[in-house]
Amino acid sequence: MSAPNPPTPSAPFLLFFRNSGPETHAHLSPDQRQQLVTRWNAWFEGLVAEGKATEGQPLELETRLVSGPGGARVTDGPFPEAKEAIGGYVKLMVSGLDEATAIAQRHPGLAYGLIIEVRQMTPTCHLGVNTKPNEASDVIVHPS
Amino acid sequence: MSDVPPDAPRQPAQLVEHFFRHETGRLHGALLRLLGVHNLALAEDVAQEAMLRALRTWSMGGVPPNPSAWITQVAMNLAKDHLRRQRMSAGKEAAIITHHEQTIARPAPAWETAHEIRDDTLRLMFVCCHPAVASDAQVVLALKMICGFSTAEIARAFLSSEAAIEKQLTRTKQRIHEAGIAFEIPEGEDLAPRLNGVLAALYLLFNEGYKASSGDRLLREELSHEAIRLMAVLLAHPAGRTPRAHALLALMLLTAARFPSRLDEHGALLRLHDQDRSKWDRGLIEQGLLHLVAAAEGDDLSEYHLQAGIAAIHCTATDYAATDWARILRHYDELYRLRPSPVVALNRAVVVAHLHGPQAALDALAQITGRDRLESHYLLHAVAGELHWRLKDERAAAASFRRALALAHVGPEQAYLTRMLERALDDDTPLSA
Repeated sequence: MSAPNPPTPSAPFLLFFRNSGPETHAHLSPDQRQQLVTRWNAWFEGLVAEGKATEGQPLELETRLVSGPGGARVTDGPFPEAKEAIGGYVKLMVSGLDEATAIAQRHPGLAYGLIIEVRQMTPTCHLGVNTKPNEASDVIVHPS
Repeated sequence: MSDVPPDAPRQPAQLVEHFFRHETGRLHGALLRLLGVHNLALAEDVAQEAMLRALRTWSMGGVPPNPSAWITQVAMNLAKDHLRRQRMSAGKEAAIITHHEQTIARPAPAWETAHEIRDDTLRLMFVCCHPAVASDAQVVLALKMICGFSTAEIARAFLSSEAAIEKQLTRTKQRIHEAGIAFEIPEGEDLAPRLNGVLAALYLLFNEGYKASSGDRLLREELSHEAIRLMAVLLAHPAGRTPRAHALLALMLLTAARFPSRLDEHGALLRLHDQDRSKWDRGLIEQGLLHLVAAAEGDDLSEYHLQAGIAAIHCTATDYAATDWARILRHYDELYRLRPSPVVALNRAVVVAHLHGPQAALDALAQITGRDRLESHYLLHAVAGELHWRLKDERAAAASFRRALALAHVGPEQAYLTRMLERALDDDTPLSA
């Protein structure tokens, strides 16, 4: 069923989901919402089956921003710009930024305004992966 | 893969079809039991919030093993938070709310029984179909509150605008608020008239789905299926289990059984005569006939009984020629006595044509009392056109089909009438050439 894994070494990536709050989906009908849940899960389960997604998790919307020396400034979320809030993430093990981006591009939530930020995790050696240090890999997939 | 953590998400639970939609209706019921009917708008907001939370969490974390319990728990917690906030912001109302919390039934636990869900749905039906609410508004409210349709879907189904539906819903909720309707199943002498109100609304809902429509045919057929689903809920409760309710469900099932053959492969409307009877749903016909038998208990003979009887005659005829038109005409005569409406008379005229020919039917059309009320309905002219055509009066036929076409609103009806008009004009060509 799943394609054989490419022989290229795997590197860890994180997909951050933004603009996934209630306001994004409020206008969808119940059946459209259900379809989105089903397709979203199918997208993730497909990646798990291929061994490309290792974990994924929604995040609570309640947010606190801690700043200032000694954490003196504590601000309650939500963010002034709801689009900016990270609603969840998925960790991928893929061949590189291009593959991670292609996976993000197949996400069913993009049609409804989801924004996915693709970030490579800093190089680690436990998988024998050698990526160039200090190369900022940052791609944002916007809804088409 | 070696680094897949042992607690990696398992395959999420599968959601049954229309889970979100029906769950919305169920939540409204459970929330109104907790909050009271005067908090209808709050119940809606809370249900919406819980559904959106489910959407977000289940999208990214998978569907939990018991999604219904999950969502009820979330909704109940949200509702209690709202009540608490209300109490804090309006000190003087605190006593009322405390009283309210003490007198209203205990908050619904996540593991509600099927009986409680059924009863909440039934109570919600009695709220939506309350006589204080106009009948077309009842149908729209029921679609929103019980069936969980979105405003956009309702607008699409009724060929209306979202803003217009939203406005109507706001007015209806205001009406319900003012009328002080209780969240209860009526008892004693209140029950029968209130039950008739529910049946009338579900009949309307079914008919909305039965009407042919452009574009959103599937959505409209869902209205009919919702009406059938709610009738089943009604009949599952002793208070709703009456011969008349059985008759209405029989009518719905026997009509829905013929849905698959109503349109050809291009979406064009097919008359009974041209329908492929092998496409009729035998299972639904059998269920319908069983309910018709149950409807015969007692001595109630309602319009639903007669209409279901007519539908049953059509469904049990092996082919069009074998249809027992004489029996159908007797049913229509009875129906007209019970409900002397021009629409019944129009349908009766079609049956007259089968038994006594097109001229007799045209005479019957001419004699319809209140015919002027039918003039603006395309069906009168479509029937007249067909009768003229069969009398070989192509000019009169073309004139009638033209009028019908000008009055028809939806695609399949228009396409059908265009075909009929072309047929009349084709025949006309040699004469006028």
